[in-house]
Amino acid sequence: MTAPHPTAQRPLVQVRDLKLHFPIYGGFFRRRIGEVKAVDGISFDIYEGETLGIVGESGCGKSTAGRAVLRLYEATEGSVTIDGVDISTLSQEALRKTRPMMQMVFQDPQASLNPRMTVAGIIGEPLDEHTRLSGAEKLARIYELMDAVGLNRDFANRYPHAFSGGQRQRIGIARALALNPRFIVCDEPIAALDVSIQAQVVNLLEELQEKFGLTYMFISHDLSMVRHIADRVAVMYLGKIVEVAPVSRLYDAPLHPYTEALLSAVPEPDPSLEGTKQRIVLKGDVPSPANPPKGCNFCTRCPKVMDLCRTVKPSTVEVAPGHSVACHLINQNGIAGRTGGHEAEHNQTHNQQGEVA
Amino acid sequence: MKRTMALFGAATALAMMPLAAHAERGASGHLNIIYWQAPSILNPYLSGGTKDVESSSLVLEPLARYNQNGELVAWLAESIPTVENGGVAEDLTSITWTLREGLLWSDGTPVTSADVAFSAEYCMHPEGGCAQAARYQDVESVEIVDERTVTVHFSVPKPVPYGPFVTAQSPIIQRAQFENCTGARAPECTDANFYPIGTGAFRVVDFRPNDVISFEANQNYRDPALPHFATITFKGGGDAASAGRAVMETGEMDYAWNLQLAPDVIATMAQGGRGVPISAFGTLVERIEVNMTDPSPDLPPEIRSTRAAPHPVLSDIRVREALSRAIDRELLVEVGYGQAGRPSCNLVPAPPIFRSDANDNCLEQDLDRARALLDEAGWVVGADGIRVRDGRRLTIDYMTSTNAVRQDFQALIQQWWREIGVEANLRNINASVFFGGDPGSPDTFQKFYADVSMYANNFPGTDPEAYLGAYRCGFEPRPETQWQGENINRFCDPAYDALHLQLAQTASIEERGRIGRELNDILMQNYIIIPLVDRGRLSAHSNTLGGVVLNTWDSELWNVAEWHRL
Amino acid sequence: MFTFTMRRLLLAIPTLLFIALVIFLLLELSPGDPMSDMPLTIPPEVRQQMRLALGLGEAWYIRFYKWLYLFSVVEPSHVLANMTGYDWLRVEGQRILSFQTRSPVADIIAQRLPQTLWVVGLSYLFGILVAVPIGIYSAYRQYSWFDQAGTFVSMVGFSLPTFFTGPLLILICSICVGWFPIISDTTLVVDSWANFLKQLRQMAMPVFVLTLYNAAQITRFMRASMLDNLTQDYVRTARAKGMTERIVVLVHVLRNSLIPVVTVIALGIPTIFTGAIITEQVFRVNGLGALLIGAIYGSDIPMVLTLSVVFAILIVLFNLIADILYAVLDPRIRYD
Ligand SMILES: Nc1ncnc2c1ncn2[C@@H]1O[C@H](COP(=O)(O)OP(=O)(O)O)[C@@H](O)[C@H]1O
Ligand SMILES: [Mg+2]
Repeated sequence: MTAPHPTAQRPLVQVRDLKLHFPIYGGFFRRRIGEVKAVDGISFDIYEGETLGIVGESGCGKSTAGRAVLRLYEATEGSVTIDGVDISTLSQEALRKTRPMMQMVFQDPQASLNPRMTVAGIIGEPLDEHTRLSGAEKLARIYELMDAVGLNRDFANRYPHAFSGGQRQRIGIARALALNPRFIVCDEPIAALDVSIQAQVVNLLEELQEKFGLTYMFISHDLSMVRHIADRVAVMYLGKIVEVAPVSRLYDAPLHPYTEALLSAVPEPDPSLEGTKQRIVLKGDVPSPANPPKGCNFCTRCPKVMDLCRTVKPSTVEVAPGHSVACHLINQNGIAGRTGGHEAEHNQTHNQQGEVA
Repeated sequence: MKRTMALFGAATALAMMPLAAHAERGASGHLNIIYWQAPSILNPYLSGGTKDVESSSLVLEPLARYNQNGELVAWLAESIPTVENGGVAEDLTSITWTLREGLLWSDGTPVTSADVAFSAEYCMHPEGGCAQAARYQDVESVEIVDERTVTVHFSVPKPVPYGPFVTAQSPIIQRAQFENCTGARAPECTDANFYPIGTGAFRVVDFRPNDVISFEANQNYRDPALPHFATITFKGGGDAASAGRAVMETGEMDYAWNLQLAPDVIATMAQGGRGVPISAFGTLVERIEVNMTDPSPDLPPEIRSTRAAPHPVLSDIRVREALSRAIDRELLVEVGYGQAGRPSCNLVPAPPIFRSDANDNCLEQDLDRARALLDEAGWVVGADGIRVRDGRRLTIDYMTSTNAVRQDFQALIQQWWREIGVEANLRNINASVFFGGDPGSPDTFQKFYADVSMYANNFPGTDPEAYLGAYRCGFEPRPETQWQGENINRFCDPAYDALHLQLAQTASIEERGRIGRELNDILMQNYIIIPLVDRGRLSAHSNTLGGVVLNTWDSELWNVAEWHRL
Repeated sequence: MFTFTMRRLLLAIPTLLFIALVIFLLLELSPGDPMSDMPLTIPPEVRQQMRLALGLGEAWYIRFYKWLYLFSVVEPSHVLANMTGYDWLRVEGQRILSFQTRSPVADIIAQRLPQTLWVVGLSYLFGILVAVPIGIYSAYRQYSWFDQAGTFVSMVGFSLPTFFTGPLLILICSICVGWFPIISDTTLVVDSWANFLKQLRQMAMPVFVLTLYNAAQITRFMRASMLDNLTQDYVRTARAKGMTERIVVLVHVLRNSLIPVVTVIALGIPTIFTGAIITEQVFRVNGLGALLIGAIYGSDIPMVLTLSVVFAILIVLFNLIADILYAVLDPRIRYD
């Protein structure tokens, strides 16, 4: 489905049709009465050394996707291959052994650090588990990591609550780096920080990427920040990826109406152009992921909605190398040939005919 | 009744059995006694509580005490002094006691007349707050005649001079031990109060207040073959039900005191088969006291429930009699006391010499007679079945203490009274308030802010003189006396008072019996007091415990020296 | 922390004085009379004499002041002397005397304390030992059959009062089957295996009933606190680090979950001393709870007052200890 990336790098992470449905229990006997389709069939690749940005409104399933990719949640369906290993089928013990390779930086640096462990404890704990370093070596490594993220070594024995938000996120990053990972999921790593500190942390992440050759999955709802850090961007809406494209293409020529709407809300850096820009305001609320619309997930709010959208789910179409969209508009306007597989080809054809008639 | 007598006979027979197998002191081993009220102190002079008096009776003994038939028997004394044998002065103002020869305290020192005299001094100290002071009433002095003899001088003639040093309530305490503990210093002597030295069959080894006492046989006890038991654990506390269970069902305990439980509960426990309930009767009578004065709340507090305001309804003897006739006493006994009760028509049900048979017609419930009496008194049955006279309904405020049996009685009696057209408003009051005597409380039995009130009372010992004396004029609780006083009914009859004075001057026991019965009959035939049930004592002992003779005239443990393992 | 502790201790003094005064006045105003236990055959004049001998003749404020002096000066000196063995510490003279026993209140309390500690303290300890693992596992496997069963049992333990479970157990185990005695022998000295077994048998039922009750409460706390922590981000962090589940649950989650549980346990300690009043009554364990009840029934004002104020002091003290423990356990909290 996805064409080889123009740079022809090797994909480090391959996600295929990943679904994560949280069960909903209810009633007297706590029976399963439904499910929250937090992630509902997403597929993408992340190439070695690149940063894939994931954007979308709050609640669209970004964090869940990030966690499912690292198998911090057990996926309902689909596979995740990292560096050639299909981690979705590994045993718990084997998975644990593979963990050093893939790490995560969490959104809330306060909540993600154990309040009763010192900085040295937090950074050093995975070393105990996965390496056989001596005490002194371990300490040296801890100091090294603290240096790398710009933390004063003297604070090694302090507890997380004694640090500022930015410093805490640095601790979180140092912890993630401790075992020399290759792939890091950054789940809104700057969302909880002051604006003045956000840039510092992002710069740190970029530096580290360069220094250690890291691959990032960078989750954010801040499109400008993603534009800055990401190589490619995936836009999520209600558990699905609606558009993936290299960063310049997506920002310059968004194809999906949802992407357009998102981008229109980004403040224009150039005040002279501010007036020319037309803001698309989406009406209504995001539908519940427990009960998504029958057709296109976006049909309830789409400014360009068609009757077809309400009944048939659009398939993902690669409109240009590395640029895929899931939208009936694209299919109808024939911007690209139907190279991608259809989700329900017969059904779709039938409906299209109905539409024409 | 028959069964009681049979049991009684059996117990007596056992006590008389020759005990060849147990000829040696301590041969019966260990005895477990349970009192569901726990002793707090082992000095009966500082606490009048039955639990304290009876537990200390294992250690402390009087000069004389009453046996199970209410007869006086010499204990530490050689014999009972009487006018006939010259022990009591002709003018009834002195009595001379002689100690048995060779008596020793449990610490090995001899018991002398100084100890006897000191016991009186101890209790008569004005600051001591002695609980048994009543037994030493009118004592002028206790004269030491010789090593073994004392003479008690009274300020007035005492036809019954057996107050001091008689029964478990006024035992002899050791002078050497209590010498520095008189008056206000009494409570400072914790050691003496917890570990009294006595002449009894046992001595205290360990005392845990409100919990448990350990006793062992007194090696200096006067009879070398007694006691049969070597040690006793005297457990206190809990409730009557579990005490009964421990004896009759689980067999953990050998003797349980005073099981005031519903008859069916006792019967169920007895099926446990490890012990038997035993009962005996004393002078405790459950009765309804009739208020001869007006308790109406409309009256000012100075005259409410005082003789200044006679009762507007109950002053009529016909109404009082009707109330009594309407009651089925047999049924009350069955419901409330079973084996431990019998119907009573007398205020003084015992001892036999004081028991009148002139009032036995009350045994039969007679609703027709009751109705006739009320008709005669002018009370006409109204529309709702309640009688009315001059616009006043025949309504009676009926007060008692909170207690399951009493509430059952209230309900039954309310029903019977209803049948004769009398409405009863029931009220029950927490026992510690009801009997608390707090002059500030409106709910004490002394204040009697009700038309009738129900409770039980008895008299200590075997002579009812003081008991009957309570119903004389001037002894009623009233504001001037801070509502203290024993003439609860506010009864006043000069003829009664004169007869009582006569009793107070009579020494001959037959004559005393006659006058006592007559006084009782006056109260009964005036229906001042409506007796209901002669309440016996019901205790239980293990099937393996012998020698128990239940005695309601003295401590239940009076003959513990002779108790033995079967 | 030191200044915090000192300030709290100083502030506690007026509180305790107030509590003592209120209890005293309540006792004073409540109906009931120390003489009401006495047989009716004791005439009123004698009762009055006895009342005077108890010191009830004086005005209430004089009696309260006397009690206060004895409680805060004389009695502590005796307790101290008994503990250290230095007799010269004792302040001579009158002590707080119980109306019922006419002996020093402190001696009786000291005599009763061990029984309460044995039965109630032991069941508290057992309760904790049972509750913590169950709470952990219940939370870890939320909604599993184990959790459901645990929830059921703790709801039962929680909602069935000990005055129900106690007699029920007595009926089954003592009366029907005859395994355990219904009256505990408080004079038993454990000096042999046979006596030790006897001690175990007589403690079994009360300890079981109280353990059930305590465990039920603590399990619920432990479970709730574990659940709170299990969903925290730092747990995910620990998993992401590749730590074993054992470490994740027993080190990361448990250590954080224990903070509130430990303080709840500390706050519950005074109830050990108040002695599970009802259970002591039911099983005839003559501890402090039974002592208090008996004293209340007997209108033994000095005993009730002293015990209540001692309990109040314990409660204030353990509240403070709970606060301090919280600060010690949780690095985020500092009192300055
Ligand atoms: N543990 C969970 N159980 C049930 N529903 C969840 C859980 N975590 C997230 N969700 C639901 O899944 C959806 C996606 O959540 P999330 O991935 O956190 O969104 P985002 O990170 O994009 O804001 C939301 O509707 C959320 O309510
Ligand atoms: Mg999120």
